[in-house]
Amino acid sequence: MDVLNRPRFQNALKALALLAMAVFLYTRLASGVLFFYINQRFMAYTIFAIVGLVVVALSYRPMARRDEADGALHSHHRLGWAGLAIVMAPVALGLLVPPQPLGAAAMQNREINVASQARSALPAAVRAAAQKDAADRNLLDWLHAFSASPNPAQEFAGQPVDVIGFIYHDERLGENEVLVNRFVVSCCVADASVVSMVVRWPDAASLPDDAWVQVKGVLQPGEFNGRALPIVVAQEVIPTALPNQPYLYR
Amino acid sequence: MIVERPKAASPVETPSPARASERRVRLMRWGLTLVVVAAAFAAIFSDALRGGGAVYLYQRVQTFVTIFLGIFIEAVPFLIAGSIVSGLIAVFVDQAAIDRYLPKAALPAALVGGGMGMVFPVCECGVVPVVRRLYEKGLPLSIGVAFLLAAPVVNPIVILSTYSAFGWGPVFVGRIVFSFLIAAVVGFLFGRAQPEEVLRPAVCQLHHDASHPVHSHEHDHSHYLPNAPLGLRFRQAFNLAGDDFFDMARYLILGSMLAAGMQTLVPQSTLLAIGQGPVISVLAMQALAFVLSVCSTVDAFLALAFAGTFTTGSVLAFLVFGPMVDIKSSLMFLGVFRRRIVVYLIALPMLLSLLMGVWWNLNVRW
Repeated sequence: MDVLNRPRFQNALKALALLAMAVFLYTRLASGVLFFYINQRFMAYTIFAIVGLVVVALSYRPMARRDEADGALHSHHRLGWAGLAIVMAPVALGLLVPPQPLGAAAMQNREINVASQARSALPAAVRAAAQKDAADRNLLDWLHAFSASPNPAQEFAGQPVDVIGFIYHDERLGENEVLVNRFVVSCCVADASVVSMVVRWPDAASLPDDAWVQVKGVLQPGEFNGRALPIVVAQEVIPTALPNQPYLYR
Repeated sequence: MIVERPKAASPVETPSPARASERRVRLMRWGLTLVVVAAAFAAIFSDALRGGGAVYLYQRVQTFVTIFLGIFIEAVPFLIAGSIVSGLIAVFVDQAAIDRYLPKAALPAALVGGGMGMVFPVCECGVVPVVRRLYEKGLPLSIGVAFLLAAPVVNPIVILSTYSAFGWGPVFVGRIVFSFLIAAVVGFLFGRAQPEEVLRPAVCQLHHDASHPVHSHEHDHSHYLPNAPLGLRFRQAFNLAGDDFFDMARYLILGSMLAAGMQTLVPQSTLLAIGQGPVISVLAMQALAFVLSVCSTVDAFLALAFAGTFTTGSVLAFLVFGPMVDIKSSLMFLGVFRRRIVVYLIALPMLLSLLMGVWWNLNVRW
């Protein structure tokens, strides 16, 4: 008989698999990598999952050899090699591939929001963005603010900008221009969309894709992809470390 | 009623037809995995040859892993919660109560099922193990199907999140009303079906035992042990929760991989550029909902991003169809239903929500 079919091994295997998953989630949480994957407001759910997995794992109490024949508490749901491989896939992939937040590579697949559509945001978020001081606005706040204006290119000209994002070179950009971007996540990275601002900077070409920078500058009327919008004329572009929370949250 | 400890539950004594189908499902699972992996590799490599080679390929893989883990980590809490609820139902709910209090006629059953999410607030990952367990307790088919499809939307949490995203208006009202209606209609259609045509053999066997208690003397799978000590009952419940979790996690993981693969390879703009027509826009948003596989508790915030550019009917279709069926949930359905039925469970809500979206686009001016 296949070793896996013996109730003792089944129980031990299931308990270990559940614990492995719980430990994996815990390490994501402890190292802060969790926020590469989900919105921070779902952190409590992850904690619940860890507790749930451990409680369920511990309910598979080790079985003595003499209980095996009795099999009173074991179930007929057998976990085979294939099942085990699939269930452990998230843990294996998570450990093998170094965690990395979404970046330039994921942008090639997505719409770039340089000026969001009129109704694309929560009214409350737009109001909150409008009340913020210009220097405190992040990329998403700026797009909210732009969306509330009929003619953002003119209206915001001259306002100071201080934002953080990663670099992406888009082929539709003009000379000495680069996009500075953040992904916006409402649930998990599966629903990520990207918000971007066009930055004009003499050394734009020297900035590599995915490099994180802080951009300080002033808004001026400009255009992207044939559309008039405010762009940042940078005074300073400072390389920065990856923020603790790489995404902005809706 | 005093029930013996379930001694019949060892794999050796599992009836042979169930085993054969178990083997078939396992084969299919492998086949599916292979197809997905092969397709992903083919697509990635064809891209890599066009583009920047190894670095580019590596970035693609990394993006895939990030999105896959994102969907998985987001869904795991809901799956473990659903599994624990399922385990508790198995041990603490008396089959006789289900038999006595829930309607069996198709129409009332479908309506009750459609509204049951208000009592059991579960999302699309948690609802599947709960429905399966209720079927094993003899729940009528119509109630289960309507519950499965409606619960991810018609529940207090999702109603609240939809309200906070869209406020009182056509999208909010339309989402709840149509989710309920479509789920009830599909549930009603299952009113005449026989359990053995619909449920997977292993689930069906228990369903049959539960609804015909007379025949179940020598083959009692019941986990309802009212006279066992409480500690033992809880342990049994968590044991069953673990088994459920493993059963469903396979489908969830394969589904998340598939969804992540599609997202890595198919540009969103392809779907969104399809068009603005009253019919095409609805189809595009349905496809997007299916591919994205976002949890129903938050998809309203996501849909908001499309509200300006897309027709209201198509946004509604996204919000109604997406929670009922997406890549990961339709794979999880395979753990409960026969394959043919899973096709119906995808196609019927798809057609009905398409009909709804198109009708809305053509006739409703709110």
